[in-house]
Amino acid sequence: NSSTLTTPQNQVDSLMQEVADEAGLELNLDLPSAQSNTLGTSTATASSEQDELSQRLAKLRQM
Amino acid sequence: AEAGMTSNTRKNVGPGEPVLATQKHHHRKAFEYISKALKIDEEDAGRKDQAIEMYKRGIAELEKGIALDVANGQGESWERARRLQEKMMTNMVMAQERLEILERALSGLVVGETVDIPDIILRGPSPS
Repeated sequence: NSSTLTTPQNQVDSLMQEVADEAGLELNLDLPSAQSNTLGTSTATASSEQDELSQRLAKLRQM
Repeated sequence: AEAGMTSNTRKNVGPGEPVLATQKHHHRKAFEYISKALKIDEEDAGRKDQAIEMYKRGIAELEKGIALDVANGQGESWERARRLQEKMMTNMVMAQERLEILERALSGLVVGETVDIPDIILRGPSPS
């Protein structure tokens, strides 16, 4: 198929980026927690969020 | 998305999933409430009565999350759920301790008023 050869590189790149985004390959760690919904929260995220609470609670205990 | 290390332990799909989703839901609510409580509590001038309210709500969500049975599921997502449950237990205990301290402190502030505070809150549990 000759059409693939004539596709501009930048279009290929943007399509690749699109596919990557859709597959969630990009790790967006800066996502505010308030915006992530329940189903979107992975257990790993949940786990580190619980850790965060532990640390903050422990700090208050030392005061 | 959660490809395990082996394809043999494939029991994490099926009737167990709603439990895991429910656990996450309660985690999420608890996290929101306790985060709010901590934010208020960490400020010196924070309204401690508001922090108390948020701690209570957070603890209630943790209780619901911990009450879910995740003991018997096979596979990585269940193991993670069990670890999450342990962390929720830790935080429930810590949040309760903090709540008791705040309630005690607050009851000290309103000593001039007539308030019915059980001795257990004023003095704390007697050492045994």
